[in-house]
Amino acid sequence: MNNYFIEIGNKSIQKNGQEVCGDVFMSRKLQEEGRSVAVLSDGLGSGIKANVLATMTASMALNFTVENQPIERCAQSIRNTLPVDNDRKINYSTFTILDIEYDGETTILEYGNPQFLVFRNINPLELNDTRESSVSELEISHFKAQKEDRIILFSDGVSQSGMGRADMPFGWDWDDLKDFISHQIKNDPQISAKRLSDIIVNRAFLNDSLKAKDDITCSVIYFRDPRNLIICTGPPYKMDRDKSMVKTLSDFNGAKIICGGTTAQIVSRELDKEIEVDIFSGDGDLPPVSEIEGFDLVTEGILTLGRVSDWLENKNTSKIDYKGPAGKIIELFFKNDIINFLVGTRINEAHQDPALPVELEIRRNVVKKIAKILDEKYLKEVHIQYI
Amino acid sequence: MTEEIKYKVKICTGTLCHVMGGAELPALEDHLPENLKSKVIVKGMVCENYCNETDLKPPFVLINEELMQEASIEKIIQFIQNCE
Repeated sequence: MNNYFIEIGNKSIQKNGQEVCGDVFMSRKLQEEGRSVAVLSDGLGSGIKANVLATMTASMALNFTVENQPIERCAQSIRNTLPVDNDRKINYSTFTILDIEYDGETTILEYGNPQFLVFRNINPLELNDTRESSVSELEISHFKAQKEDRIILFSDGVSQSGMGRADMPFGWDWDDLKDFISHQIKNDPQISAKRLSDIIVNRAFLNDSLKAKDDITCSVIYFRDPRNLIICTGPPYKMDRDKSMVKTLSDFNGAKIICGGTTAQIVSRELDKEIEVDIFSGDGDLPPVSEIEGFDLVTEGILTLGRVSDWLENKNTSKIDYKGPAGKIIELFFKNDIINFLVGTRINEAHQDPALPVELEIRRNVVKKIAKILDEKYLKEVHIQYI
Repeated sequence: MTEEIKYKVKICTGTLCHVMGGAELPALEDHLPENLKSKVIVKGMVCENYCNETDLKPPFVLINEELMQEASIEKIIQFIQNCE
């Protein structure tokens, strides 16, 4: 049986002038049943009202689907529940429901949203196994996903972005949109779901000249092998464990990051490999990155990790500077699914001097915080090992 | 261009050196006087733990393997000028 890792990425921008987005995306992993359910809903209008409609729709659709209730019943219940808009005297929200089994068997229900796309490698798939349901305007599609497939959902804010512009009078041309996505995947065949949804939404936002005419949302579901990353930070508590730390690192199959000068020294010494420091690669606030052959990234420790933690928690992911040391770590986090922390717990005495101009946190605490954010906010599988 | 590099300045990029002023040091190249421009090369190095020796103060710089503590751009230039 082929089991895939399913990476889900989503990005929304609200209509210009609104406080919240009227598109809502929700997903849930049902580990025991081996399936994932996701819903994208676009509420009528924009702002709070739309957000309420979409949130109700998405959560009901999600729960009905999780409970394997027939879709007709679900649609009926949503219709009966949604509050009626005072101005327009109607209640309405569109939705797309995805029901994905971990062997790739996928069911997609669409009601009113722009047609979803499936990309196999760089080409959109033509799905002909689509049928109308007894509920009008509801379309049900089935297909068997293969490894490296991507399902892409949009709200109409994407397809209608740029509408009225001389060069795109009817919005983002459907074929141009497909070409745009093909091009992104061609450029970076392993592009993460999160990054791809960011790029598509940002482009739609640009089509609207940075003033979104409607809520813009794109969700990407990416089927692939899980990717592993190890991030090693800090020297081991006891020096005689240096060797085993380095062995764990070199035996590891996946991406590798070293955070910390002393840690890098240990690795360099044990593996007898040179450290090259690129002095101009810092970003002003953070010390520069270095290179050790066989490692994806070598950075300074506590300052960089502190920044990573801060950005992951507070910063809009599309505003992160992915060229700086902290951004490079975050990008590697996003590209991988299983994040392993290998944390040396020796305390650097020199960092405890109260006369320092900044407060240097204890490594263990920062790592714990990052791990919690990665787990809860970015749904990564996180393991921490202390040495 | 043909002149030989006489001075190799290695700046510590460790945490402590960075917060104690080392962050400014990579700009050294821009501040070099004309007579030194082609003779000095600026590089980075990983923390060598000089900061854990209690009597030394960061930021640290190695100039041709000679250790300078509490380094600043002025101090480095002064040091090299004295060697000239």
